[in-house]
Amino acid sequence: MQFPVYEIPYLGNGMTIGLDAILHVIISHGLAIGAITIIVISEYIGFRKSSRDWEKFAKEFLMVNIIIITGIGAVTGVGIWFITSAISPNGIGSMLRIFFWPWFSEWIVFALEVIVLLIYYFTWDKWSGESKKKHIYLGASYIVLGISSAFLITGILGFMLTPDGWPWNKSFWSAFFNPSFIPQLLLRASMAFALGASFSMAFLLFTRRESVFRKEALHLFGKVFLVSFIGVVIFSIWYFNVVPSTFKTHAIFSILDSRFSQQPEILYIINAIGIFILLLFALFALKGSVFSSRFLIIPALLFCIVCVMEFERVREFIRGPYLMPGYMYANQVLLNESLFLEKDGMLKNAYWYNKITDNPEVIKQGAYLFAQNCSMCHTIGGINDIKTKVKGRPEDGIFVIIGHTHEMVPFMPPFSGTEDERRTMARFLYQLSNEKINIAAPSRFAPIKEVHNE
Amino acid sequence: MNSLHDILLKKPLPDEWLHGLLFTTFTLHILFVLLTLGTAIIALYYFVDAWWGGKLSESRWDKEILRTFLAHKSLAVVLGVGPLLLIQIGYSVPFFTAINLFAPYWILIIVFLIIAFLSFDALAHKNHVHHYLHLTFGVIALIFLLAAPGIFVAVLLTAENADKWMAIVQNGYRLSGPISYHWLFRYLHVIGASLVFGAGFHYFFSTKDETRKKKAMLKWIVAGILIQFVLGIILYTTLLEKPDFITNVSVFTGLGIAVLLLWIIYLTMDKKDALSIRTGVPLLMLIIIPMLLARQFIQNKKFMPFEKQLQSNSVSYQKTLQPYTIAALNNYQSDLKTTYDNGETIYSKSCTFCHGENVDGNGSEAKHLAILPEDLAAIRTTRPYLLTILTGGVSGSAMPYFTVFDRYKLESLIDYLDKKHHILGLPDPIAVKIPDSASNEAQIIYTETCSKCHGTDGKGTAFSKGFEPPPPDFSVFSLSTRRAFDIITNGYTGTVMYPFSNLAEDVRWGLVKIVNDKRTQ
Repeated sequence: MQFPVYEIPYLGNGMTIGLDAILHVIISHGLAIGAITIIVISEYIGFRKSSRDWEKFAKEFLMVNIIIITGIGAVTGVGIWFITSAISPNGIGSMLRIFFWPWFSEWIVFALEVIVLLIYYFTWDKWSGESKKKHIYLGASYIVLGISSAFLITGILGFMLTPDGWPWNKSFWSAFFNPSFIPQLLLRASMAFALGASFSMAFLLFTRRESVFRKEALHLFGKVFLVSFIGVVIFSIWYFNVVPSTFKTHAIFSILDSRFSQQPEILYIINAIGIFILLLFALFALKGSVFSSRFLIIPALLFCIVCVMEFERVREFIRGPYLMPGYMYANQVLLNESLFLEKDGMLKNAYWYNKITDNPEVIKQGAYLFAQNCSMCHTIGGINDIKTKVKGRPEDGIFVIIGHTHEMVPFMPPFSGTEDERRTMARFLYQLSNEKINIAAPSRFAPIKEVHNE
Repeated sequence: MNSLHDILLKKPLPDEWLHGLLFTTFTLHILFVLLTLGTAIIALYYFVDAWWGGKLSESRWDKEILRTFLAHKSLAVVLGVGPLLLIQIGYSVPFFTAINLFAPYWILIIVFLIIAFLSFDALAHKNHVHHYLHLTFGVIALIFLLAAPGIFVAVLLTAENADKWMAIVQNGYRLSGPISYHWLFRYLHVIGASLVFGAGFHYFFSTKDETRKKKAMLKWIVAGILIQFVLGIILYTTLLEKPDFITNVSVFTGLGIAVLLLWIIYLTMDKKDALSIRTGVPLLMLIIIPMLLARQFIQNKKFMPFEKQLQSNSVSYQKTLQPYTIAALNNYQSDLKTTYDNGETIYSKSCTFCHGENVDGNGSEAKHLAILPEDLAAIRTTRPYLLTILTGGVSGSAMPYFTVFDRYKLESLIDYLDKKHHILGLPDPIAVKIPDSASNEAQIIYTETCSKCHGTDGKGTAFSKGFEPPPPDFSVFSLSTRRAFDIITNGYTGTVMYPFSNLAEDVRWGLVKIVNDKRTQ
């Protein structure tokens, strides 16, 4: 508890990371790995067949890709890190230390990846004729780097859900090569190729006019898409099989949220419709039918993106109370620290708490306890608003409930603090939900406005 | 002062290596940052220049210059990852704290960079953009691009000055006073450097022996260095602490080499190939390296004692936590084995602490509640009504809503409770014989008193709907006859349902029958 707390207003911490990460995943998987692979294959076909159509398609598609990859993909990737640095210094700080070497290697690979991609782009015209082969090899080496990058990151991501024996033995290797590592890597690779093929088809269908080439390319990309899509299905099943059932059981809620959790069928129906559209689309693409493919590509692409969002949301959500299972809760309190704070008190051990400007005691303490315990997921007045969560509960009810958050709602961490602190926070939340106090950023230590409308 | 603990204590590299690597990677990063900024500024300048000179249709310098933007900015981003990693490992507390204090701006950098990068890349790759549009895009992109180093400088400056943190907080998370002047000139010094290095890059690498353009770039370099002299002097005077000897040596070495570079440019200006790549590039590098070294010296001097103290505090906090580790891991182990996918587990975890292990409302927390938890074993209701309560909670009571469980899970909870306690059954028949007179009296009392809140049909009234909690709907919710009798006799603690123990026992049984009959009707 040596860092000040910051929570992002309205959007909330989770949603902000989520929006940034989804954009990053779609670009890093779909374009940086998937689409560039298609581009290198297209270049190769163009070279083998001496076809200007294939060559031109590859070159023009590369330009679009490289602008998006370096302009949005790379920035949002670093962005995930930026956001976590601001809201979860303990979490990211610990992760960086456990995985220092993969992280460092990842940086080298990432740098090489960008350098090779830039060279690949800038030498397209220069390395023609005799040197074309060299250029294609360069493209292929980029793909190898891209996949190595995915390899390194997946180990770290997998750890956050299935740390295996790490909480006990603290061994790097069991953390990195954790049970969900291989299925997740294969799943991400299939996702990348499926997304890449769909983006390529979208570009093809809306920018090309040459009918023979278009049909031929559509057929090939359709094949890539179908194979990768089958891979996605198989590897998701494998992936969810290695996830402990205690986590897996929150999957439906993670997607449907409180609003739709009582109609769980929605989840199955939407996914069934989506899969049907994708298969239909793959069929038309294989047939080389331009008209129908053009009609279906937008919904197909949208559903691919929905699938990615779904997967990432489930993966991030179901690890529930933990940021690092067996070590740290999502609110950055360590598992053993939580037991200690329960006895010793949170406020006493919070460095920044004592720096808060003058506020009435209950509000000052309550707001801080809320910020430290809850604000990783809950906002005040925004997404996952705590006011609506406790609305209707009397103060004693809130007091009891926050003492059992972890038991009652298994994906919530426990409250870390003494019984008195729990009572203080309950009073704070009660007054908040009854509009007796008004506050948007509890951690920002500014004087809080009291509303007297009793 | 602060405490780091456990994993945060680990240093994967010895300090010397960490500092060395940090300096190297940071220098590379800054170099490309300067090229990115410089390229953007100079390109925009030449666009305006061409427009005013009416040369927009001729060969455009701004396009040629901006073409390298894609590579510069990509490498700047990528190379920034290394120092970000190393500084977060090496100086966790000051760096993370500084980020946190400027968190909103820090997060906005992502948005700023995306806007700036996409706009400049689009301008570089699109052949014809209307010039008003071009200018608008360019200016907006440049503003966003220039904002980023401002935020970075503020973060680093804050990290270096732990003694100013409280002032920053009390000022509403803003820099003020001497530190803000220092920030301003440090920021401007970065922008000034970007002119020198941006122009330097294009002078050596993208002018292709075009004499006119080479001359122009040379002017940028000279002007940039002169600006840097002025800004540097001001920056030096705004330093928050007196620089030590080694910092001074670095700064003045850089300064000396800059003077040397100017002198060489002056001497060779009239020659065709003025500044050669073999002298120019090493000299420029020799300016930036000592300057960045000076920065690093100042930073280390501030960070090191802080880190040392931190380490010792952390070790003691870790010792405090140590005794709790085994219990924590055991809890985790048992959590891993618990799956909330069946009624039994859900009841025992999510309901027991209020409703009790015996499902009788005597949970361990019941003593804290003004409105006692319901004796669930005694309820006799319907599945839809129970689902309404489970998904909506009971307003005014501690009973929350449980939509965190999807319907399959709530159904299994209901099934579990029904199997054990027949909660979905109808109330059992009344064993006591109720005389007609008592029945009649009960009916009168129900109509005159009870129905005010419970309604003649047992569904509640408009008046009682606003109660916290409101009365249950007797047409779908009843209790075992024993429990119903108890509540009529003793009231329901914490609610407006008050005791009717003054009524004769027969009459109370009569009331139970009336209430139960609402259910079967």
